[in-house]
Amino acid sequence: MLCENCGKNTATTLVRTVVNGVVKEQRLCSKCAKGYTGLPHGGLANMLASMLGDITDTHFIGEEAKCPVCSASFSDIAKTGRVGCAECYKTFRSELLPYLKRVHGSTKHVGKVPNSAPLSVVPETENLESLRSQLSRLVSEERYEEAAVVRDKIRKLEGENNG
Amino acid sequence: MGNWYSNSNEQGIVVSTRIRLARNLSGIPFPSRMTQEQINGLKQKVRNAILESNTPFAKSLKFIEMSAVPKNEISAMVERHIISPEFAAKADNRAIILSDDESISIMIGEEDHIRIQVIKDGLKLEEAYDIAERIDTVLFDKLHFAFDSELGFLTECPTNLGTGLRASVMLHLPVCESAGEIQELGDTVGKIGFTVRGMYGEGSKSSAGLYQISNQVTLGISEKNAIDNLKIITTQLIEKERSAAALLDKVRLEDTVYRALGALKCCRILTTKEMMNLLSRIKLGINMGILDKEINAIKLLVEGQPYMLMKKYGEMSPEERDICRASFVREALINVPT
Repeated sequence: MLCENCGKNTATTLVRTVVNGVVKEQRLCSKCAKGYTGLPHGGLANMLASMLGDITDTHFIGEEAKCPVCSASFSDIAKTGRVGCAECYKTFRSELLPYLKRVHGSTKHVGKVPNSAPLSVVPETENLESLRSQLSRLVSEERYEEAAVVRDKIRKLEGENNG
Repeated sequence: MGNWYSNSNEQGIVVSTRIRLARNLSGIPFPSRMTQEQINGLKQKVRNAILESNTPFAKSLKFIEMSAVPKNEISAMVERHIISPEFAAKADNRAIILSDDESISIMIGEEDHIRIQVIKDGLKLEEAYDIAERIDTVLFDKLHFAFDSELGFLTECPTNLGTGLRASVMLHLPVCESAGEIQELGDTVGKIGFTVRGMYGEGSKSSAGLYQISNQVTLGISEKNAIDNLKIITTQLIEKERSAAALLDKVRLEDTVYRALGALKCCRILTTKEMMNLLSRIKLGINMGILDKEINAIKLLVEGQPYMLMKKYGEMSPEERDICRASFVREALINVPT
């Protein structure tokens, strides 16, 4: 089918927007879709954005969860097709997995594993910023004992900085 | 040793090989969400990790702040495939670590924190991957990469997640192209997780029969398998192009090749597009044994690009450039017999 915007090129992207709770769907060519999503280039990124966008409306209900490191919400990711930071893959894992499966046909890495790679993504150094985001995550997950350890680390670091 | 486009003897149907690894640091946002301060910190970290390592290749590498590179040179870097158009578009606060022969380029602050690129002439997938992998290991020893045991290396765009590997080969397929088979080729390789693009990347309509084939899938497939699959596809395409070329009428083919040579040796105004199409026919003539192997059509094709010309001859208007390009190509082919 032809693009619903320019009527010239073949529509390749489904753009779904939610304005005041009203869902609007448009089938656009990659050129028009690019203008729509503000992405620097078309191809897979746009496709992914529209694929992720399929479920954004369910996420607009109530307060949206935000990544503790970069404060991206899942609708931010869905809108741009870009993930905010490494931590987002943990925060929005269950939302992202079905789409990784659609893009790659798999959700299991089978390539290179660096020697000393950790099992989870943790910050290299414990700076204040990362500790604070850890703290807020632990508190939101109600892991208070671990949160207390992190809180003490923050106090110690703050003490060093002020001294 | 020259760069990928100047080693004429190495090039046949496969013009070049490119390996790209996407890597990110944990604990800081991906580039789209980074502050200027975080970008500066990232550049310093990567710079120190590489330049202070005692690896042999570190000696040939140079750290360059892109803000110090003139705009025209940045465009010329895109034309010779050292940096991506995306990297060039917002080059100002980015940096690159580049080897003397420009075969290694480590882009800092592109779509991912680090993009390690190795580009070689001809079909050298393993060699290029081996270099990229060694750089990756050096960086990993010093930096803390975002890695997840389930999802592999984490990237800003989920399409690169897993190995973070993009392996590509640039092929010269003028006979398949004129037979209208590229669309079908794209459909076929698409089914097995590969893609076909024009010479100058995403969205570029190829001219001159030059196409890049690269893997799309990065999760659930190992680096080795992705590279092996690309090699199998490449081998088949070489075979297909060769057998299609063998069926061409010899006199007609010679006519096409020598007409292109005649035009290039005599022209006074030459657009980029016309140059690329004529040089494509020259390259076909070389591959088919009609013209001397010493002519390097790809080198001319790259050096004749708009910003590459201005790098050599200074700032020009597009009209002046077409005149300059004609004289540049005439000069380069002056001793080629017709």
